[in-house]
This record gives sequence, structure tokens and C-alpha cells, in this order.
Amino acid sequence: MRTVAFLFYYITPYIAVIVFLGGIGYQLSRWRQKRPVPANLSLFPRPQGRLGRLMDTLVDMFTLKGLFRVNRPLWVGGFIMHLGLLLLLLGHVRAFTDYYFLWDLLQWGEEQQHQFSAVAGSIAGLLFMFPLFYLLARRFSGAVKWLSSPEDYLVLGLLIAIAITGNHMRFVLDPDTHEIRQFLQGLFRFRWQPAPVSAGISFVYHFAFVQLLMVYFPFSKLMHTIGSVFSKMVAKS
Amino acid sequence: MLTRFVDTIRQRFSRPLQYYQDICVRCGACIDACHFYVVSGDPAHIPAYRMTLAKKVMQGRVSDGNRLHNWYREAWGQESRTAAELERAMWECTGCRRCAVFCPFALDTALLVSAGRYSLLQEGIGPQMIAEIGNAEVSKGEIIEMIQEFYVDQTKELEARLQKEFAPDLRIPVEKEGARVLYVPLVGEHAIVPLAKVFHAAQEDWTLSLFTATNHSFFVGDMDKARQAAHWIVQEARRLGVKAIAYPECGHATRTLLSFFESWFGDEIAGIERISVVQLVASYLAEGRIRVKSGTFDVPLTYHDPCNLGRNSGIFEEPRALLRAVATDFRELTPNRELNWCCGGGGGLIAAPEMKEIRMKAGRPKAEQIRQTGAQWVVTTCENCKTQLGDLNEHYGLGIEIKGLVDLVAEALAL
Ligand code: SF4
Ligand code: SF4
Repeated sequence: MRTVAFLFYYITPYIAVIVFLGGIGYQLSRWRQKRPVPANLSLFPRPQGRLGRLMDTLVDMFTLKGLFRVNRPLWVGGFIMHLGLLLLLLGHVRAFTDYYFLWDLLQWGEEQQHQFSAVAGSIAGLLFMFPLFYLLARRFSGAVKWLSSPEDYLVLGLLIAIAITGNHMRFVLDPDTHEIRQFLQGLFRFRWQPAPVSAGISFVYHFAFVQLLMVYFPFSKLMHTIGSVFSKMVAKS
Repeated sequence: MLTRFVDTIRQRFSRPLQYYQDICVRCGACIDACHFYVVSGDPAHIPAYRMTLAKKVMQGRVSDGNRLHNWYREAWGQESRTAAELERAMWECTGCRRCAVFCPFALDTALLVSAGRYSLLQEGIGPQMIAEIGNAEVSKGEIIEMIQEFYVDQTKELEARLQKEFAPDLRIPVEKEGARVLYVPLVGEHAIVPLAKVFHAAQEDWTLSLFTATNHSFFVGDMDKARQAAHWIVQEARRLGVKAIAYPECGHATRTLLSFFESWFGDEIAGIERISVVQLVASYLAEGRIRVKSGTFDVPLTYHDPCNLGRNSGIFEEPRALLRAVATDFRELTPNRELNWCCGGGGGLIAAPEMKEIRMKAGRPKAEQIRQTGAQWVVTTCENCKTQLGDLNEHYGLGIEIKGLVDLVAEALAL
């Protein structure tokens, strides 16, 4: 048991990161090996110039404005879920480092930082979780049912599991965040710290699902994170 | 089964297709975009499902008996069902790319369909007719000298007629060296007459091509042949030393000219401007090279954006400027421009008699859209659309007339 725990806390996280980064690299090179299509795949109207293309792609990515125009319910679900995810990722950065400049700027002490991240984290956690249920429910209805494949349920299942365990820690257990940060920073800096206990089994599940997601990421549709930049740029070229 | 299809499409899988396949999140935003799915409810018509089907077939049959693995890959036992669905998915599509506008990642199902059609034809699946017309377009260049004389004679006759009817000094030059514009028509004089009038009025230095702009190999995704057919025109343009190639009111041909020529011909085409006659005629009006009698037409009319001129080539405002100049009651379809419904006749379906039934079904959103405007004339700038709209008019009893844009301009010319 001790060996398993040791592997889980101190070894597999590194493997997950390696598979995650290596897998993305592998997929990118797989795409590169294919020959580019000998045509202009523009969709009109399109922005002018390189900068215009880039700006337009970025605006598209952060607002999903195309979806807003053609499918409002899906936009609401998709946009809020991604917004929550973005906030959560920004929050989790604090597990490894901190926004020192920001706290300096606001002149916030430890207590204020803690309160702020508690509130922001709670909101982000809910913004992330509820749309996931909507997106899952959608998969069982109408034409989307035909379209859905096992991969879609798998990805949604993983994300929902991560969201529930995360929110459970946040809202129910209220663990010692200091302890968790110590542990993660230890991993990050190769100076291992004891595994957190205050978050109980929820942390174990949360940590496990995140590792699974990282391993699965490069081999799943989650690659749209990167690939959509290419496809959008091609359509605006 | 379908091994040839699989081999061919694997080869044809270009970089965008590979990441399209990998990143589609199956969100379903494209579902409502496709006129085929909207009228049929057939899953094979869902844009993203067309890719899913191709993927299923491409990854082959899983026979390892591992149920989890099979579930994940959705292996299908009944391959005949897959083949039938695949056939519908690849042929019952007009390549309109409306789904790409709806997709948050702009995934282009028409690009898949192009590769898929070519690969299915290797199995003998699909309307052979379209491919055969494509072959004829390719071989036309080899026999052009034999038909040239006959063609020139016919053009002379047409010229004489127009001199009598329209203007005594009107010319239809063929193979004129050093002309500025090489105009590539369609089969039939309807694609020559209005242009000859407008060119005459604009005092354009033009010459008529011996070839036609249509490219049926493009419809079936045979890109080598599509390039060969278009190459005759490029060679002609270079032989004559023209400054510009102008393409007629024809959707897919315009798309090849504006979006494919550059990568097909590279340096060979450098310095030769490529333009649709719709743009060219609009520029004549804007520059004052032609004048029209404003308000020539007072019937309520609307404009149908052909997919290949609109969202696929960016020609949105030119036709509207021309229409506003000659008509008093111009009404927009809703939606219009890049969100306009496809007429349901693109992608070469017009050329295959067996596709007529599905064409009429797929045109229903278009028919309803037209009815809502209360327009009596539907003006458009694509030969395919014109034929399809004519058929829809009959099928749905719309009581409309279909008009070509340049026809209207030619009729309204103030000389
Ligand atoms: S809209 Fe795009 S990402 Fe969504 S299912 Fe359709 S093709 Fe896939
Ligand atoms: S290109 Fe047009 S016809 Fe083909 S799948 Fe997309 S929307 Fe449907």
C-alpha cells in the first residue's frame, strides 16, 4: 500500500506530465507530416492582413462569437464552461507560484489573498461544473445523440469528476490549502513534501482524475485547444 | 470491403483533414447548418457525422474481440450499413461550406467530402456521370484545334446577329492576342451574349476563350484532373498574353479560379489577374465605364448568394451594388450573405439525374426562404443555382422567375 501511495503521489504525476507534453508534441508532428492542402481554404468575410487574422482568431477564441450568432444555448454552455475553466487554471497556478506583483499592486496581505481566492475559486468552480451537466444532457438528446461517440462521454465524465471532487474540497471539506500548496510546490521543485491529509479522499480522486486527463488529453478531442488555432487561421487565410 | 476507399482516402488525408478529424468536439453546432440534415433527419447528413463515418471506415474493423476497445472505436459489425451511409454522406452534400461557418473551429466538411468522393469512385460508388463530364473537360484541350474552326464560325454568326440587334460595331473577338481580358464562358450563348454587350459598352479589350470554365473533376474531388482541365485555360491566357482571366457566373469555377489557381499554377499564373465577371462588371459601373438606366426593373426581386461566390469567394457586395443600380424593389433573403441557405443543387448534383429527388428535398429551406420575401424574380450569379432554382420553382410552385445578374445589367445598359 505504501508503495502504491508513493508511486501515486511522487512518480505518476511526472509520468502524466511527460505523456501530456510528449503526446502533444507527437500529435503536432503527426499533423506536420501530412502535406498541406494545395488550396486556399478561406471562408468569407475574412479579416485583412496577418495581424487582423491573428486578432480575429484570438477574439473568436475568447468570445466564441461565431457560436453566439448561430447557436445561443450552446454558446451559453460552452462559453461559461470555458470561462470557469480558464479561471480555475489561473487559480491553480497559485499551487506552484504566486501572483506576487498583483498582491503588491493591491497591497493585499495573506488574509485578503486567501479570502479573494476562496470567493473567486468558488465562483469559478460552479461556472465550470454546471455547464458540464448541461453539455452532458445535450448529448442524450436529438441529433447530438447520433453524433456523440464514446470519447465524448469519457471526456465529459472526466471533467465532471474533476469538477465534483474539486468543488467537494472547496465547499464541503474546506481543507488546509497551505498544506496542499506545499505538496504541489514540492513536486514542482523536486523537493518532496508529505501528501496532504486535510482534503481526504477527495484530493486523492481529484489528483487521480487530473492525471488521467493529462494522459488522455493528447489522444483525444481535447487537442482542439491547439488545433482550433490552426483551423481558424486556415479559414481566414 | 471498401479497401480501395480506405487506401485512397488515407493518401488524400491532408494536414487540415487530419486535424479536423482529431479536434472535432462533436458539439453539433454544424447540425442546423446543413440543408440535407434539416430536411431528412438522416444522421449521415450531419456534417460532423460525415467525418465520424469516414473515421470509422478508415480505422478498419476491430476484430480483436476486446469489447472495451470495440466500444471505444465504435466498431461496426454490419459493414454494408456503413457503406450505404458513407455513400450518402459523401454524395448527398453540395460542398456549400455553410457548416464551416457554423462550426466554432471552422472545420470544412466539404474538404472531407471532396477527398471522400474521389476515394469512393475508386470503388465505383457514386454518380459516374459527373466524373465523365470532368474527363471530357480534360481531353478537350487535346482536340481543341479540331473544333476551333467550327467554334469561331459559330461565334461569327452570333456576332453578326448581335451587331444587327444591339450595336453595329459590337465585336466578339476569339483568340485575340494581346487582349486585356480573357473571358472564359460556359457552354451555350446565354453566357456570352450579355457579357458581349457589357464589354462593348465598357469598351473593354477582351477575347473569348475556346474553353469553358466548368470543372466537373473538381466536383468529384479529382484534383489532378481538375488542375489539368484548368491548365488549358492558363496556357491559353499565356499564349495570348492577356492581363486578366475573367470567369462567368458559375460558382464552382469561380472558386477554382480565386482559391485554387494560385496553388495549382504558381509562377505560371503570376501577374495575371483573376476575377469573376460579377466583380468586373461591378467595377465598370463603379468607375463609370458603363452606365445603366436606374429603376429599369420595378418587380420585387431578391438576390441568392451562391455559396461559392459568397462565403467561399467573398463576393457579397458587388452583386448588391449592381442590383440596387437597376432595380427599385430589392429584397434581402433572410439569412443572407455567408449565412445564406444553399440552393441544394451544388457539388455537381445537377449533372447526375439520379440526384434529382434529393436535390428537390434539400432545396426546401431555400424555397421557403424565397417565398417569405414575396419576390417575383430571384437573381443569382451561378449556373448551378439557376438550374436548381428553376427546378425548385416548378417543384414547389413558387411562381418566380430566375434571372442572371449580368443579363439584367446588359438589359439596363444606357448606351
Ligand atoms: S460544429 Fe465543428 S466541432 Fe462542432 S460537431 Fe460540427 S464539425 Fe465538429
Ligand atoms: S458542405 Fe453544405 S451540404 Fe455539405 S455537409 Fe456542410 S452544410 Fe451540408
